[in-house]
Amino acid sequence: MEDYILEMHHITKRFPGVVALNDVSFKVKRGEIHALVGENGAGKSTLMKILNGVYQTDEGDIVLNGQQTIIRNTTEAKAKGIGLVFQEFNLVNSLSVAENLYINRLTKRHGRIDWKTIYREAQEFTDSLGFNFHATDKIEHLSAAQKQLVEIAKVLLVKSDLIVMDEPTSSLTTTETEILFKIIRNLKREGVSIVYISHKLEEVFALSDTTTILRDGEVVDSAPTNTLTRDQIVEKMVGRSVDMEFPRKKCGIGEVVLKVNNITRNGLIEDISFELHKGEILGFAGLIGSGRTEVAEAIFGAEAYDRGTIEINGKKIAIHSTHQAKEESLGLLPEDRKETGLVLAYNLIWNISITNLDKTKKKRFISEKKEAQFAQELSKELNIKTPSLKQYAVNLSGGNQQKVVFAKWLFSDVDILILDEPTRGIDVGAKYEIYQLMNRLAEQGKAIIMISSELPEVIGMSDRLVVLSGGEKMGELSREEATPEAVMSLAVSN
Amino acid sequence: MENNTIVLRKKVVGVLREWGLILAIIVITIIATIIRPAFLSGTNMLNILRAYSTIGIASFGMAYAVIAGGMDLSIGSTISLTAVITMLIVNNMTVATVAPATAALLVLLVGIGIGAAIGAINGSIMAAVNGKLAESFIITYAMQIVIGAVAQAIVRGNFQAAQYRSGLFKEFGIGIVPVLFMIIVAIIMQFLLVKTKFGRSLYFLGANMGAAKMAGLKVKQVRFIAHMICGMCAGLAGVIVVARVGSASVLQGQNYELDALVCVSIGGTSLDGGSGSIMRTLLGVMVVGFMMTALNILGVQSNAQLIVRGAIIVLAVALDVLNKSMKFREVAQ
Repeated sequence: MEDYILEMHHITKRFPGVVALNDVSFKVKRGEIHALVGENGAGKSTLMKILNGVYQTDEGDIVLNGQQTIIRNTTEAKAKGIGLVFQEFNLVNSLSVAENLYINRLTKRHGRIDWKTIYREAQEFTDSLGFNFHATDKIEHLSAAQKQLVEIAKVLLVKSDLIVMDEPTSSLTTTETEILFKIIRNLKREGVSIVYISHKLEEVFALSDTTTILRDGEVVDSAPTNTLTRDQIVEKMVGRSVDMEFPRKKCGIGEVVLKVNNITRNGLIEDISFELHKGEILGFAGLIGSGRTEVAEAIFGAEAYDRGTIEINGKKIAIHSTHQAKEESLGLLPEDRKETGLVLAYNLIWNISITNLDKTKKKRFISEKKEAQFAQELSKELNIKTPSLKQYAVNLSGGNQQKVVFAKWLFSDVDILILDEPTRGIDVGAKYEIYQLMNRLAEQGKAIIMISSELPEVIGMSDRLVVLSGGEKMGELSREEATPEAVMSLAVSN
Repeated sequence: MENNTIVLRKKVVGVLREWGLILAIIVITIIATIIRPAFLSGTNMLNILRAYSTIGIASFGMAYAVIAGGMDLSIGSTISLTAVITMLIVNNMTVATVAPATAALLVLLVGIGIGAAIGAINGSIMAAVNGKLAESFIITYAMQIVIGAVAQAIVRGNFQAAQYRSGLFKEFGIGIVPVLFMIIVAIIMQFLLVKTKFGRSLYFLGANMGAAKMAGLKVKQVRFIAHMICGMCAGLAGVIVVARVGSASVLQGQNYELDALVCVSIGGTSLDGGSGSIMRTLLGVMVVGFMMTALNILGVQSNAQLIVRGAIIVLAVALDVLNKSMKFREVAQ
């Protein structure tokens, strides 16, 4: 008889028009790390939301520690020993790490908050986890990765028997990921069970004992991780065989469309020069903070540059604004799609048409009908999965949101497209679609700059690589020269 | 069970959102009419709309500023300034020297021009500092003080009657004309809002300035124009106020900015920016107008009236919050 901490039996959850989960059974053994994988929209989040009381299941039961339970809300989930690490940050930026950690449990002494003890305990706690920042640091001064660690620490502070981590590493660098892995393994040793949701299969293999694969709201497979291969998992996730992970097809590379000479933003980037050709995908590799985004912002006119020149189609152009960049047929898919890529509170039609409203006009005024038609065409072309174009962007999965950002630049039909981390936080299936889309665009003669922190991806998709480090260009590698070792040695050379 | 109550609550909120304003107007009218049948008379209706026409026009401008993610607290002073200048112009013209049509056109242009200039100053400062709600509060409040002082200096604090009130200018203030002004301005501004690139940009600017910028919109220009139009509305309101009441003082526009904000938020435009409509603002103006008139007719004390006014604002904000919390999930499912 296996000792299960959690058994979810025959869970079915329907939303109007869709069955989000269909007869899903999911069991987690005590003290195991259980990976839950699947494409966005496969039902992972819905399942975890049911476990945490955000949604109520329509059918099926939840058995916790051998006892049937009903979890009505997140407070109850917490009380029953279920901890949850979300991707979104719920931290108060203007407060310190310690204040954020202890905000619900401020120790009092003589009726006053005992800050001394709180800071000491917080420091000891974060040190014990191996974090390299101070409990007195303000959250706003931390990097995204460090914030994620604080978020994790907040959950660990409460004793839980079962911790759900929803893509905890999506904003972490290698160093922090290592720290997190160590923490997770320690938890396992202490008998805590972990449900680990991730798109990164390397992590699944590195960490998990068991893997459950969801597709379209059903369990496709659940097996010990060491009996599965990477390709098997991917195939089961997407429901088709994946012959090639990075489907870059070389196509006819044409003349230079963008020439950047010695672009400099004081203190951020220095003397960056490169050329971009028609039909080419130019990769920008480098560590976080190496200045890749800063270069993109300067070219797109989002931030002013101090020195240097930009030539588009052989014509020198001083770009002062994003509007001007767009007029010069430049588009930028920003790093943070939720903050600046989309307006989450607006529907897909509005989000897509905004880059080229002139095209939607009929007799000088916007025609909602035309606008919806264009959006419809693009959403079909890009295979955006949504019940309706009137859907608010906030309700779409990461991959579909990113496709909407693509759609908006396709709508404006720009020739030069800068993609800043185009596949961050999206699932394997959607990633593959985005790679294919990039291929298609390059074939059509668009010029693409791809900034990516995922080394295999940027190497696999680029025709040529520019490697930045510390705000300077360290070198340029052809597709043949670009091995992971070659890229990394340049990326850390400054 | 639980689901049913949620569905029901959603439905109630949905209906209130769609029809709440019209429902409120009907309910107020019915109650007031039962107690004082004269409330329903054409004369009374026209009186209410005329009395609130200038607040209406000012509210439409305010709605633009609010949708774009800011606000304009200087419209009170702008109305005072255009009112006193309009009065000075009018008092210095005689029928013998200026044709009525010319006089009318002149005051309109001057009034709207003054408003545009003040709005342009607000707008350029806002654009220069990339301001949002908090900045607009400070900047336009400062403008309110400065423009108030200018108006004060012009009339030296005296209340002055307009001596010359004939010809077309006088018509601006009588009968249905102010109401027509309000309706025409509303129609034009609503059209611009939903049918032009500028209007759509206003929404994006208010919803997410960063995303607006990254979509290649002319963020600063849109911000500038929004404030300028807001000023123009206040200028127009200032001219019509003088025509209606036949006098001008530096206190003419007092509290207009607050009244306008009340009408805008009752009209369902969120002070967070990024949403809202002029037609709803018009309905908001009518709700306030009907309500206050009903209270007057029913002989409610002025202190009690203020309490009611406060209660309406709280209600409007509460509905907005409720609305937002449900909006996303509703479409999601």
